[in-house]
Amino acid sequence: MSVVDHHAIELGPRISEAEVGDYIALLKPRVMSLVIFTALVGLVIAPGHFHPVLAFTSILCIAVGAGASGALNMALEADIDALMSRTANRPIPRGRITPSEAMAFGLTLAFFSVMTLGVLVNWLAGGLLAFTIFFYVVVYTMWLKRWTAQNIVIGGAAGALPPVVAWAAATGSLSMEPLLLFLIIFFWTPPHFWALALFRSDDYARAGVPMLPVVAGPDATRLQILLYTVVLVAIAAAPWPLGYFDAVYGVISLLLGAGMMWLAINVYRYRVGRPALRATRRLFAFSIFYLFALFATLLLEVVVRAVAPVIRAVAPTIGAIASAIG
Amino acid sequence: MDDEQKPDGIVLTEAQKRSRRHRSVAIALALGVLVVLFFAVTMVKGPGVLVRPM
Repeated sequence: MSVVDHHAIELGPRISEAEVGDYIALLKPRVMSLVIFTALVGLVIAPGHFHPVLAFTSILCIAVGAGASGALNMALEADIDALMSRTANRPIPRGRITPSEAMAFGLTLAFFSVMTLGVLVNWLAGGLLAFTIFFYVVVYTMWLKRWTAQNIVIGGAAGALPPVVAWAAATGSLSMEPLLLFLIIFFWTPPHFWALALFRSDDYARAGVPMLPVVAGPDATRLQILLYTVVLVAIAAAPWPLGYFDAVYGVISLLLGAGMMWLAINVYRYRVGRPALRATRRLFAFSIFYLFALFATLLLEVVVRAVAPVIRAVAPTIGAIASAIG
Repeated sequence: MDDEQKPDGIVLTEAQKRSRRHRSVAIALALGVLVVLFFAVTMVKGPGVLVRPM
């Protein structure tokens, strides 16, 4: 019987003392911030004019949908969370919120985020958001996570969908650009989470979660990290030769990719002791920066593209004023 | 049942009252945001608010 079940029995009929902060913690704010950022990029690179109010509505709904997924995930994984040092401090294992309260909270947010996005923006985006929540909660959390070492590979699709939802919200359709963003996040997920799993493998083993280092061993995981990183770097650079983004993005993507490759090679090379631990921690930390920097470059390129004609238009006027003053 | 045996019911502690009040305020704020959001989008879309493309 899990720690959570003990709480339920000991407390009997309980009256919640959960604060708003406990419910915010259920939303996984750090994951949500990455979702918001990647969705924002999907929204900004989409062609055509999208009213700021509708853009704000879309991002808000995607963020709340991501939070709902986090709450439902915590409701369903309370037994695992209680056994892992990384997650033991979450609101449910601490006894602040019961799994059924988290479930109700998550379902309410999921319903309102999908319906609001569908009604106020469009139903393609609403449907995709519903699919994202379903995939994360049912396919990943309830099925894959406790069943296969490929859990985070397939489940990574849920984390990769926010920019696609955002693009669909802005355009009402889908095309190659959001698919590329999807693929970048999809192939980024395994090296990122397996690096974490390498230095938290004891946690996962104790909780009975079949992460790759637990099932196949750390050496097989190191090889998989290296292989996925090669694919990731190639896919991340792909928008440049495919003509979706220019050379600035291509060069930055390759430089960042070189950093990822170097750290992945180090993870593969150093297999024991402190050097091995340091290599996996560095890859995990850099992978977060890598994704952020890659998407920030996309964002900046679009902003520069939009601002450049304005600067070109006003430059002669500014020059004339400057010469008149001079 | 005489008066002495009548149950008092559940009496909330101060901490429970405070956290319930905070949660209620948060729910009210969330509903307020939802109302403002629907109003703003209705203003932005005008008559087009009834057009809901796939």
